[in-house]
Amino acid sequence: MGIPGRIVARREDQGLPMGMVDFGGVRRECCLAYVADEAKVGDYVIVHVGFAISRVEEEEARRTFEVLREMSQLDELEWIAEVADASLAPWERWAR
Amino acid sequence: MKYLSEYRDPAIAQALIRRIRQSASRAWPMMEVCGGQTHTIVKQGLDELLGGAVELIHGPGCPVCVTPLEQIDKALALAARPEVIFTSFGDMLRVPGSECDLQQVRSRGGNVRVVYSPLDALELARRNPDREVVFFAVGFETTAPANAMAVWRARELGVSNFSVLVSHVTVPPAMEAILQDPANRVRGFLAAGHVCTVMGWTEYEPIATRYRVPIVVTGFEPLDLLEGILMVVTQLEEGRHEVENQYVRAVRREGTSPARTQVERVFQLVDRKWRGIGMIPRSGLGLRPEFAGFDAERRFGLEEIRVEEPAACRAGDVLRGHLKPRDCPAFGGECTPERPLGAPMVSSEGACAAYYNYGRLRPLEVVETS
Repeated sequence: MGIPGRIVARREDQGLPMGMVDFGGVRRECCLAYVADEAKVGDYVIVHVGFAISRVEEEEARRTFEVLREMSQLDELEWIAEVADASLAPWERWAR
Repeated sequence: MKYLSEYRDPAIAQALIRRIRQSASRAWPMMEVCGGQTHTIVKQGLDELLGGAVELIHGPGCPVCVTPLEQIDKALALAARPEVIFTSFGDMLRVPGSECDLQQVRSRGGNVRVVYSPLDALELARRNPDREVVFFAVGFETTAPANAMAVWRARELGVSNFSVLVSHVTVPPAMEAILQDPANRVRGFLAAGHVCTVMGWTEYEPIATRYRVPIVVTGFEPLDLLEGILMVVTQLEEGRHEVENQYVRAVRREGTSPARTQVERVFQLVDRKWRGIGMIPRSGLGLRPEFAGFDAERRFGLEEIRVEEPAACRAGDVLRGHLKPRDCPAFGGECTPERPLGAPMVSSEGACAAYYNYGRLRPLEVVETS
């Protein structure tokens, strides 16, 4: 399993790119060789057995979440439309 | 934590569950490939929340579970040697071999150490030049870049007392083996997100086309899994069979190319036995000839060890999705996490352990909810 963490510092160990990665307060040194060109301090990476194997794209993470949240809000509106007694809606009363 | 808590939002999960229930015209059987995904599904009870709208079949993607008995026995033989410091990820220690497990070898005086990263094993070798340090290199494509780097660095830094016992496996051949099984029921896959962070998804495109199955690259959080399930259901309902990516924030089509390149430099495709499944051609990774000096099997003359799998454990049926863990006669009685018969009861990513640890001890009655 891999988990996301944020790079807080970078260094080199005899030519190997390494970095300190923060996992919600727990910090561990990780190898950054596979993301060395794209990940900088402050970026999120997926870490597995001490190696960063992918950079997390913050913009994508936000976008995916927003799409899901909008869907959930839309869903709530649909749900209200389905289960709520339409006759009790204010515009229904006005029509009477 | 950022990128974790958001993807556990219960209100959004409810909305996704409703949508899956509305979309699915039948209980499509689909497989989550990775043991990490199985863990989330069983822990969060996602399958039960879905109330039978889809059938989740737990796949073979638990590295500990599929490591063949033969490799475990080789590990035990190595760990018992007085000159060896045997290093491994923690979850391999209690996997039963033919006679005992690594923990028992340790209690009898074997020098067995748990490491977090293969680079830690390499460091141990540098600090103990008078000992032989062997690392048990197991895992899927997610772990292969780390293990490849340890071997690469050992050569680069001239660490000659370091070697690896390799038991690497790869996902696509296992998916094909499942699909070619005449008893197969799987109609769609949630592909393992972290395998794909390394490898991308181009390998899955011919599988989706040839077997006409939707394959959705999926993450590990509850919302990731529910969205992945919804995407598979949508494809099945529309009669499509494509590779789609749910885990957009971490996976690109081409994967992480420096990691792929390093794996290809150090390893090559080999035939590999899977525990409970048997030999799958070109389904494993072995060291390339130029790294043969780091091969522990060769260094210690273990190549000839051949072991047959025991019959009592039905891991093969569980790993191929034919048997739910709690339907195994040994589950919870003869076989528990304290006294495991087979690896799926040991590893935190094993389906049997997940069922046991989260209380799936007997079939649950489906509760109708509105």
